[in-house]
Amino acid sequence: MLAKGLCAIGACFAVSIGALGGGIGMGIGGKGAFESIARQPEVAGDVRTLLFIVLAFIETLTIYGLLIAFMLFGKIGAI
Amino acid sequence: MYEHVVTQWIIILILALITIPATKNMKVVPRGLQNAWEAIVQWALDFFGGALTEDVAKKWAPLLATFFLFILTSNYLGLLPGAGTISGFVPPTADWNITVTLALIVFFAVHIAGVAENGGLGYLKHFVSPNPAFLPLNLLEEIAHPLSLTIRLFGNIFGHEMIVGFLVLLAPFFIPMPLVALGVLTGLIQALVFTILAASYIASATGEGH
Repeated sequence: MLAKGLCAIGACFAVSIGALGGGIGMGIGGKGAFESIARQPEVAGDVRTLLFIVLAFIETLTIYGLLIAFMLFGKIGAI
Repeated sequence: MYEHVVTQWIIILILALITIPATKNMKVVPRGLQNAWEAIVQWALDFFGGALTEDVAKKWAPLLATFFLFILTSNYLGLLPGAGTISGFVPPTADWNITVTLALIVFFAVHIAGVAENGGLGYLKHFVSPNPAFLPLNLLEEIAHPLSLTIRLFGNIFGHEMIVGFLVLLAPFFIPMPLVALGVLTGLIQALVFTILAASYIASATGEGH
């Protein structure tokens, strides 16, 4: 019973802390993109492409947390 | 049990049904379906070949365009009515066996491209550039790149399926709609990012990364 509870709490923390760091990082990246497009609108196409790539990199780390949560969630029934 | 394999056959059928009529009796001035397909293929070749040099881009552009079209079709199949992990047919990229296969194709393509462009010894030399102390980092990158490609694609699509599946069980008709709309954006971005990263890895292996 203790193991099931710990699995549940671990799953919650995995998603939350992963999403926290990811959100802050994406906010900082978006800020840089907005400011650079506002400064120089000709580079909007290149900056937009680079922004999507950077956001996908950061989102990967959040997805790692989500996958750990799924695995722990599946372990709850098996224990 | 074999839904992923059967859905992959459906994707092959869809892409073939669009491509074969578009490339039959090709005219110099395109009209109709050939025009639309040429626009899509030209956009893909320009976008993904922008990171590579001319001759390398010509050699590897078909693989990159195929990655993009396959992953895009596969992600969007999960948004049709009747799809879902809980009951119904499954988009193949929601299974990590298939995404690890795509990442392994990228892995071998990177090594083959490096050896084809620079020769065996030149390619091994790029592992110890700019400094021999970089060797463990470069070796670790070789493992980390395909792993992150798999988990990124699998996590995004499988997570979307799981969340939409739960919401459909909880609050049926209107609540999952914004998430399905987000799935349209996510599917496009994940296909784009997978292919851009594959192009960037090939570019760095053939010596354009500097």
